[in-house]
Amino acid sequence: MNAIDLFYPEIFLAIMGFVVLAVGIPIRKSNVNAGITFATLLVAIIIILFTPYSSAYGITMNKFSEYFAIVLLISALFISLPVAKYLGKRSEIFYSALIFSSLGMILVAATWNLIIAFVAFESVSIMTYVMSAYGGKQRNLEATVKYFFTGTIATTFIILGVAFYFFSVHTFVLSTNNIISIATRPSMLLALLFLLIGFGFKLAIFPMHQWAIDAYDGTENDVSAFLSTGTKIMAFVIVLKIFLVGFSAYTAPVYYFFVVLSVLTMTYANVAALSQNNVKRLLAYSSVAQAGYLILVLAVVSYVGIGSGSKAVDLAIASGMFYSLVYIFMKGGSFLAMNMVKQDNVTFDAIAGLGKKSPYVAASFSILLLSLAGIPLTGGFLAKYFLFLSVIDGGLWWLAVIAILNSAISVFYYMKVMRYLFWEDPKGEFSTDIGNKAMVIISAALVVLLGLLYVIFPMLINISSQIVG
Amino acid sequence: MLAFDILIISIVFGIATFFTGRYAKEVASILSGVLLILIAAFSILRFSSYTGGFVSSYSITISSSIGLYFSVGVSGLTDALLILTGIVMLVSILITGREYGSAFFGLEMLVEVGLIGLLISRDFLFFYIFWELVLVPVYFMIGRYGRDNKDSISLKFFVYTHIGSVFILLSIFTLYSYSFTYLGSYTFEIGPLMSIVHLLPPFELGFVLFGFLFGFLVKMPSFPIHSWLPDSYYSAPYPATVILAGAISMMGGYGLFGILMEAYTAIPLWVLYFLIALGIISIIYFALTAMFQRNIKKMMAFASASAMGFVTLSFAASIIESTGSEYSVKLIEASGGMFQIVAHGLIMALVFSALYYISRNARTDSVYGLGGIYREAPMLASFSLIGFLASLGLPGFAGFIGEFSIVVGVFQAISWYIFFVIFGMIITASYHIWTAQRSLYGPYNENLGFIRDVRAGEFLILIFLVLVIFLLGIYPNLIFHNLVNYTSNVFKVVS
Repeated sequence: MNAIDLFYPEIFLAIMGFVVLAVGIPIRKSNVNAGITFATLLVAIIIILFTPYSSAYGITMNKFSEYFAIVLLISALFISLPVAKYLGKRSEIFYSALIFSSLGMILVAATWNLIIAFVAFESVSIMTYVMSAYGGKQRNLEATVKYFFTGTIATTFIILGVAFYFFSVHTFVLSTNNIISIATRPSMLLALLFLLIGFGFKLAIFPMHQWAIDAYDGTENDVSAFLSTGTKIMAFVIVLKIFLVGFSAYTAPVYYFFVVLSVLTMTYANVAALSQNNVKRLLAYSSVAQAGYLILVLAVVSYVGIGSGSKAVDLAIASGMFYSLVYIFMKGGSFLAMNMVKQDNVTFDAIAGLGKKSPYVAASFSILLLSLAGIPLTGGFLAKYFLFLSVIDGGLWWLAVIAILNSAISVFYYMKVMRYLFWEDPKGEFSTDIGNKAMVIISAALVVLLGLLYVIFPMLINISSQIVG
Repeated sequence: MLAFDILIISIVFGIATFFTGRYAKEVASILSGVLLILIAAFSILRFSSYTGGFVSSYSITISSSIGLYFSVGVSGLTDALLILTGIVMLVSILITGREYGSAFFGLEMLVEVGLIGLLISRDFLFFYIFWELVLVPVYFMIGRYGRDNKDSISLKFFVYTHIGSVFILLSIFTLYSYSFTYLGSYTFEIGPLMSIVHLLPPFELGFVLFGFLFGFLVKMPSFPIHSWLPDSYYSAPYPATVILAGAISMMGGYGLFGILMEAYTAIPLWVLYFLIALGIISIIYFALTAMFQRNIKKMMAFASASAMGFVTLSFAASIIESTGSEYSVKLIEASGGMFQIVAHGLIMALVFSALYYISRNARTDSVYGLGGIYREAPMLASFSLIGFLASLGLPGFAGFIGEFSIVVGVFQAISWYIFFVIFGMIITASYHIWTAQRSLYGPYNENLGFIRDVRAGEFLILIFLVLVIFLLGIYPNLIFHNLVNYTSNVFKVVS
């Protein structure tokens, strides 16, 4: 077997990124570019399915990286079509940026090498700066500038963290075999701190979350959907690999940091979301809260120990994997539902009465909200169910109590949105675009389907052990 | 397998009802009637010679490695509650006016799906799913069709009971995480998991018991975690109140008798005495609060909560007596508690249905707003009176059987403290009678104008409920026998 086989998806995406750029010059219709991008991402998923499991040049394909590569591509695929309608003439730059960021994302999924991960991560960041600036309105640019500056600061922290990591273990490879002596522990702690701050920005965990609220609010809905799903899941993958695998010889500080951060993140975000009167900002805060639930995985696994063979580890990682998949549809779909409103500032009054104008979209949107709240028969419930189960199984019962009470509090603001959807009279205009409606309904259907797909979970548990690369 | 089929049928029916448009009422009535007939046929087939344990067991393996099964099974208790659910849901759908629209009927059918599902589930994953599923349609029913502050009250109902539920979930997780240690394999099945509760380390045992008790007592509701109840009952539209008081109120009782009782040896004595205290306080406190209500709907909401205090009481008392040699006492005690759940549901359905017609025809449901309506609507007044009398526990009606067995049994456990229970019963009787006297009889309130009496169809609904309550009152063995068999099986009594 050639080592080149491993790189077919990346090569394909790189070529197609340039093809989209080239095609976009003569053909100014965004629909064509959207179609090409959609097909490209779809083909990339198929190529990944056929890529052999092996390892070369710092890239490792196994079931774990395959799963996350596909999930991340789905997150790009998810917005590729709906975004077409507002791009206007110069759509090719957006679409090639989307393809190049997908390239970066699957590299992140497939590498256990810190330096490759960093480069791939940064390429995705730069592409998302381009994407979020699209639209050209004052508020888009404002949000992008904020996003860009915090993003670069985060990058600096990551570089420092990578350097300290190398200084401590003399390798960039993230492996459970890395040896951390007592003497290198202080520098390892610094590496942990810097990496945590750097990736914490992208993951939007407290106290590195404020940019996310403004950026998700300020960018166009489809881009917010991508920022809050694709890049967040990518940051989650990389954080899983660094802190669970790379730090597996020194887990105590990882545990303490992530326990504290996850408790602070979910509590702060849920409380802050309660007082929001802008639905997009509310969704942004809820997205921060969801990041708080996601990093519970790290708290549990680092508490139990990744090599301990405990069921809690498998359950936690598998629920993190499942959560990532469901999260694309429930959060992305919620942001896309904002497209139904014809004004930039999506207040509660703006969505009031959607249930009377288009009942199916409103019902689908409420399914997505119920899924975010973790109500049964949705994918969000199943994800949270197994996540909290793993927290208890790992022996952190008090953390589970905090998390589950947070989840119960979050019902307040999701229900508040639903109240406006159904019981208030319409005040504003709603979009009648069939594409908008279809995306929301499709995501709700997928969320319900994932909520009924109990068999997927044992499969993920089998895959989860391959997180060590 | 039969029970599983009924669940599947109910799911299909529930979804279908949403799309029936103008004919929603007819379709929903027929479908829920079919479900009731199916449940009745199932009961006759499987429970005419019931000797305890679970029948109609069926299990689908989803994943044996992490213990995911969809198991169903029906016990004597579950069967009685299934019948209750079927009757109450049918009545609720029949009294619902056409003006509510097809969505409302769909929501009602969804509640029935949830209730049937949680009753027959024998594994905790699906039990919890259905348990939570019941909340969602009720939330919409109160929030969309309710009155007075419906927004905040529906939210309060949902979040309050949801917080109760998540504690149940935490207990389930804790049990699951210990299942490998004690059972040798991971499982979510209720039977095996409840059998290891008494083996748990002290802290985990406390955690599990607290979670279950908190979750079930919120649903019950018991003092002091009841504040969602009066608001929700009052604010909900009448058909939803019938569901809340008749069917959903049994969830807490089912949790205690159907789930927690299987682990009865693990519950420490002081917890049981605490539960008895909660039960007695609930009976007296809610009765006293009811006495000061000026709105009959709210008064009956408290009366309902007060009646459920007997259930908590009998649960705890029967377990205290379970160690004693007097096996007949604990059997009567526990079976009386379960009977009380069924009787209470039926009686509340009757009370609220009659009250619905009164408030619709007289356009008020406050005690002072009404007055002497017997003159204008004798049928309606009589049915309300029957409801009140049954609710206060008059002999001859189903409510008496439950309360009588509980009082007889509980005397063994708490001796002269029984005085408090009797005191509560006296208060209950007094405000029921006072309300009947004030609103149904006495001088007619001329401001009300002409009040239409019940129509023929409405008469049939009410007389149906009265007959069922009366039948269970004079021949309780219809279900009491099965409840005793179920209890003796749980308590492992050899008779």
